[in-house]
Amino acid sequence: MARRARAVAVTGQSVAQKIIARAAGRAAVEVGDYVTVTPDYTACQELFWPGHKRNLERIGVDRIPRPDKAVMVIDHSTSAAMGSHHHETHRTLRDWCAQQGIENFFGPGNGLRHLVLTERGFARPGTLIFSDEGNIASIGALGALNIPISTEVIVALIQDSNWLAVPPSARITLTGRLGLGVTARDVIQTILRDTTPDGRLLQCCVEFDGEGVATLSLDDRQTVLASLFHSGAYTGIMEPDSVALEYVRARDGGRPWEVVRADAGADYVTRMTYDLGAIAPMVTVPPDAHGAVPVGEAAGQHIDQASIGSCAGNRLEDMRDAARLLRGRRVASHVTLYITPGSREVYAAAAREGLLEIFAEAGAAVLAPGCTTCWGYQGVLNDNEVSLSTQQFNYQGRNGARTSRVFLAGPLTVAASAIAGRITDPREMLA
Amino acid sequence: MTPRGRVWKFGDDVSGDDGIIEFAIIRDSFGKEFDEDALRAMCFRRLRPEFPAQVKAGDIVVGGRNFAHHNHVEVSVAMRASGIAVVVVESCDSGFLRRALNNGLPVMICPGIAAAVSDGETIGADPATGEVHLPTGQVLRSKPFSERMVQIWRAGGTIPLLEREFATRPQAAGHQGDAA
Repeated sequence: MARRARAVAVTGQSVAQKIIARAAGRAAVEVGDYVTVTPDYTACQELFWPGHKRNLERIGVDRIPRPDKAVMVIDHSTSAAMGSHHHETHRTLRDWCAQQGIENFFGPGNGLRHLVLTERGFARPGTLIFSDEGNIASIGALGALNIPISTEVIVALIQDSNWLAVPPSARITLTGRLGLGVTARDVIQTILRDTTPDGRLLQCCVEFDGEGVATLSLDDRQTVLASLFHSGAYTGIMEPDSVALEYVRARDGGRPWEVVRADAGADYVTRMTYDLGAIAPMVTVPPDAHGAVPVGEAAGQHIDQASIGSCAGNRLEDMRDAARLLRGRRVASHVTLYITPGSREVYAAAAREGLLEIFAEAGAAVLAPGCTTCWGYQGVLNDNEVSLSTQQFNYQGRNGARTSRVFLAGPLTVAASAIAGRITDPREMLA
Repeated sequence: MTPRGRVWKFGDDVSGDDGIIEFAIIRDSFGKEFDEDALRAMCFRRLRPEFPAQVKAGDIVVGGRNFAHHNHVEVSVAMRASGIAVVVVESCDSGFLRRALNNGLPVMICPGIAAAVSDGETIGADPATGEVHLPTGQVLRSKPFSERMVQIWRAGGTIPLLEREFATRPQAAGHQGDAA
């Protein structure tokens, strides 16, 4: 299709620029341009749905133009517990989807939007997806671009388009290979520690490259991307390799996609390199998401609760990591350990591999796929209680009482600490 | 018409959820109508206890680097409900700019603003032109809003704008957006 080039000097284009240009129907876009784009999909969770529904009624929306592009997922309040209003939200969303002819409605237990998008072939190389959360950048592991638009997500449903500011791009090169006891979460916690204070990734799309990427599993790559937004980065992406493309081909259902690569002359506001072999297990100390320290500096901290789950730690590799340490061991008697597989697919695979049995015998509580403990929906903390979690946030009161504290770590450190009853270096148990 | 107002100046790395507001107190309200009274009462009180009582409609917030990081939408609603006309910052994440504009609060990213303005001064700040008029008469320039963003701002947010557009459109479904 012939497209008219804009009369601007355009040098090399980043991956984000190329994907956005296509979605804007332009040959090229410049960093900082405000453009209107048409998404491939719009992904939405249920929590804000009562407000979205009120707004739809207020505006007078009868039918949305592209129900086939909507991916609606109940992931935050999956148990619809008594005493909450969530069961009504579920009904409202389910009915609205049926009325609109939205086939891609996924009720409780299907998993998080992040995993639904990848596992069911919505996130494909080169696709642009409007979503309601920055952590859905995890789909960048397949070369798909997450554009988080928060509560405006209904605007994309109503118009089949929305505005965005073309982000600058940054480049992070990964080399080497993770050492024993180190996880992808430790990598991103280290990156957040280094990049958040000076804001060097603010508003950026971060492109990850380097031979270190190929040493990470697809699950690990998603963990890195899922937590990137804490730095102030807008989104993130990786060039899909053969592993990623094989995953996509198995799930694309014949739907189109195209691998998008950055031009050689693309402009990056910052470039950094990390040797994966030099990363140590990290613990992020509350209340800042970038307050990561080597595990030794937090070791010995008493914990009351531990949790493995959330979009930064609920995929099959995370379950396997947890099982490596929990096999044949028991959770400390004063600790409650919650483990939440991220989707129906992860849950089933964990069952097939015997991981759920290991968790049960170790004394862990396995929850149904959902956001669960990450936002304090389950596993609410009392005054002065301490949790160590693979969840995303550690701000004051995130999981309940304002005097409770949440430390963050990767699944190996959380599992080791749940067993010991205090924050513990997982390498001590793996040696 | 350039908005002019008295400046409330804040520093670098001010947290949205854990600074501008206290998100933990209101997080059970997910999905409910915003409790604007509660948001107004907590707005900036941790950093400037006098803010809720003394802020006036049309005042301008000036922020430093990475202003309002970690912000749920209530952060933007709290400032808008307090009467803040414009927020001008050294830098912020894209999500804050979006959530704020969506709720009728324009955020201008204007490097150099922190050094150029003192708390309590009166400045002009126009998202449509990107211009910030300092008390000295000097003008700082930031990226102007697109035509669509100006429409959203002037309408008081995305929902009011769409409401108006749908009301004047016989074939409601199928708004085309702009070609900005």
